Amino acid sequence: MGQSNPAAAPQKSLSHVLQRRETTVAYLFLLPALLFFAAFVIVPMIMGVVTSLFNYTMKSPVSAESFVGLGNYIELFKDKVFLRSMWNTVVIVVVSVPAVTFFSLWVGSAIYQKTGWIRSFFRGVFYLPVVTGSVTVVVVWKWMFDFQRGIFNWALKSSGLIEKNINWLGDQKVAIWCILLILFTTSVGQPIVLYVAALGNVDQSQVEAAQVDGATKLQTFWQIKWPAIKPTTLYVLVITTINSFQCFALIQLLTSGGPSNSTSTVMYYLYRNAFSLYRYGYANAMGVILAIIIAIFSALQFKTMNTGVEY
Amino acid sequence: MKLKKTLAFLLSAMMTASLTACGGGQAASSSAAPASSAAPAESSAASVAEPAGAEVEITWWAFPTFGQENADDPVGTYEQKIIDAFQDANPGIKVKLDTIDFTNGPEKIVSAIEGGNAPDVLFDAPGRIIEYGNNGKLVPLDDLFTADFIADVNNDALIEACKGKGTPYMYPISSSPFYMAINKQMWEDAGAMEFVNLEGDRTWSTADWEKAIEKLAAAGMNPGTVFCNGQGGDQGTRAFITNLYGATIANPEMTEYTANSEAGVQALTKMKEWIDKGWLGDGVSNTAANDIELFATGFSSFAFCWGTSTALAQAPNMEAASVTPISLPFPSDDGVPELEYLVNGFCVFDNGDAARADAAKKLIQFICDDPEWGPKDVVRTGAFPVRQSFAEKDLYAGNEEYAVLENFTKYYAPYYNTMDGFANMRTEWWNMLQNVISNGTDPKEALDAYVAASNAGMNAA
Repeated sequence: MGQSNPAAAPQKSLSHVLQRRETTVAYLFLLPALLFFAAFVIVPMIMGVVTSLFNYTMKSPVSAESFVGLGNYIELFKDKVFLRSMWNTVVIVVVSVPAVTFFSLWVGSAIYQKTGWIRSFFRGVFYLPVVTGSVTVVVVWKWMFDFQRGIFNWALKSSGLIEKNINWLGDQKVAIWCILLILFTTSVGQPIVLYVAALGNVDQSQVEAAQVDGATKLQTFWQIKWPAIKPTTLYVLVITTINSFQCFALIQLLTSGGPSNSTSTVMYYLYRNAFSLYRYGYANAMGVILAIIIAIFSALQFKTMNTGVEY
Repeated sequence: MKLKKTLAFLLSAMMTASLTACGGGQAASSSAAPASSAAPAESSAASVAEPAGAEVEITWWAFPTFGQENADDPVGTYEQKIIDAFQDANPGIKVKLDTIDFTNGPEKIVSAIEGGNAPDVLFDAPGRIIEYGNNGKLVPLDDLFTADFIADVNNDALIEACKGKGTPYMYPISSSPFYMAINKQMWEDAGAMEFVNLEGDRTWSTADWEKAIEKLAAAGMNPGTVFCNGQGGDQGTRAFITNLYGATIANPEMTEYTANSEAGVQALTKMKEWIDKGWLGDGVSNTAANDIELFATGFSSFAFCWGTSTALAQAPNMEAASVTPISLPFPSDDGVPELEYLVNGFCVFDNGDAARADAAKKLIQFICDDPEWGPKDVVRTGAFPVRQSFAEKDLYAGNEEYAVLENFTKYYAPYYNTMDGFANMRTEWWNMLQNVISNGTDPKEALDAYVAASNAGMNAA
C-alpha cells in the first residue's frame, strides 16, 4: 500500500500535459466568443458607467472639464419626467410579468396534452406576434386604436356601447393599458412554447402515481408538475421582467411617451436624451440606474424561485 | 487525434485572427476620425487640387428630399444620376451614396458622428445641420458663400438661416413655405367657402377662420387635428397657433423663447375651446403624418402641415379619394400671416481630411450651382430656388399653384430653427400641447412651463 509505483510519476506528468493541452484548446475555442462578448458587452458597459460621470454631449466630449461626478445621477432624481418614466416602467413590469406568466402557464397547461396539430395551431397563433416585426405589429395595433377611424371605436360605437369615440392612445388613463395589452400579446408566445415543452417533459409515472394515491388535479399540479417546471418559470420570469423593463419600440412607434409622459419609460426617455437632445452622459446614467434595478429584480427572482430548482 | 487537435487549434486561431482583424480595422478607422475638439479641416474648394491620379472617395447621405423622376424609380435613383454626372466632370472624385429616411436617419447620423463615421455630405435642413455645426462637427462653408452667391440669393433671412453663430454651415439649394390646406369640396358643401379668400395671396383673418370651422362642424365635416404625438411636422401647429393672435415663438434677437405672451395664451385658450366644441380635432394620438393622411384620404376637411413636397407625395391618395386641396396661408388677426419655411441644403462633415472636404464642397456646388443640374435639382426638391438667377428661369412655368405659393414666400417669418436648444424646444412644444389638450392644463400655465423649459434648454445647449 505504501509502495510507490515507478511508472506513476511520468504518467501523472503526462496526464497534466494532456490536461493542460485540452484546457488550452478549450480556451482557444472560447476565445472568439469571449473577445466578442468583451468588445460588444463588457467594454460598452464599462464605457457607459464611466461616461455617466461626465456631462458628455455632442459639444462636450469626455474630458476633465466635463467631469461631473454623480451630478447626472443627482439630476436624474430631480427630473420629474425621469421619475414618471421610472414609475411607468415599474407599472409595466408589475402588471405585465405576472399576467404573461400566469396566462402562458394556463394556456400551456390547457394545450400540452392535446393532439399534435391543436398544440401546433395554438403555439403558432401565440407565437405569430413574436416572429412578426415589431413595427408591423405596432402599425396594425395603431390602426385598430385609431381615434378617428379605428376598428375598436367603430365596433363599440356600432354596438351602442359608446357614444363618443375613445382616444385610446391620447387619453392618459387609457394609453398605458393599450401599451400593456400590446406588450402582453407580443410577450406570451415564447413562454407558452416553453411551458408546453416543460409540461410535456414532466415524469408521467409520478403524475399517475399521485392520481392513483387520490391526489386532486390541483394537488397533482402543485406537488408534481409545478416543481418540475420551476426552472422554466424562473427563466420566463427573468426574461419577461428584463423585456418589460426595456420596453421601448412600442412606446416610440405608438405614443412617443405621451400623452403628457404618461407612457414614457426609462428606455424611451434614455433614447430621447441621447438621440434628440444629444445628452449622452445623462442618458448613460439612466442606463446604469436601469441596469441596477433589473439586476436587483433578477436577483430577487433567482433568490425566491431558485429554491430546489435542479438543472 | 493529433490531426483533430491541430485542426481545432488552427480553426480557433483563424477565428481569433479574423475578429482581431475586424477590431483592428475599426480601431484604425476610429483613430482616423477626428476628435470632436479637433480643428476643422481647413480647405478651400477652389484652391486645393488633388494630386494627379489620386482618387478621393466621399460619402453622401441623402434624406428622400429629391423626388424621383418616375413613380417606379427606387429611392436614390435620381441622386445616382447626379453622382454619375458629377463623377464624369470630376474624374478624381468617387461618390458613394447612402439613402436614409426621416424615421431612423437622424439617429443614424448621431451614431455615425459619435462613432467617427460621419458622412462627408449630408442633404438636410438647418434645424439639424446648424446644431451639428454649432457642436463643431461640420466644416465651415465661408468659401462657398461668395459675394456673388449672396447677391444672387438676395435674401438676408435665408442666408442667416444657413449660419450657426455667424458661421455658414449649410449651402442652400431651395426653399418653400409651410402652409395649410383645405378640402375644396367639403368646404363648399358646408358653405364655408364664403370665408375663404382665393384672391391675391389668399390671406384671411382669424375671425373668418372661426366662422368657417363653426360651419364645417355644423355640417358634420370632420375637422383637421392639432396633432402632437411627436415632433414631426410640429412647425404646422406652431404656425397655426402663433398666427391666430400674433404671438411669436422667439424674440427678434433670437435669444429667448417668447410664446407665453398674451397673444400666445389667447391663441392656446381658443384652440382648446375649439377642440372642446369639436371644431378642431384632438390630435394627441396623431402624428403629422396621420393628420395629413386623414386629409389626403378625404376624411378631414383641413390640415395644418402642408407644403409642396407633401402635396406631391399625397397626390395619389388625393386622386383616389377625389380630394381637391386648396393651399392657404394660416389665418391671422391682422390678415398678414407669418409663415414658417423649409430650406433644403447641404453640409460637409469635418472628417479631418482636407481632400475629402474639398471634394465634398465640389459635389455640393455641382448639385446646387451647375448650370444644367442646378435648376433640375431644384425642381426635384419641389421647392423654389434660392438663387434668383434660377428663379428667373421660371422653373415651374405654367403651374398656377406654384405661382400662388411663390407669393407666400413674402410672408416668411423670422427663422428660429437655428437657435440654441431648438431640438429641446420642439420636444417641449408637443408635450405642452398634450398637457393642454389631454391633461386640461391651464394654457397660461402650460405655456409658461414650455417657455421656461425651452429657455433652460437653450442655456444648457
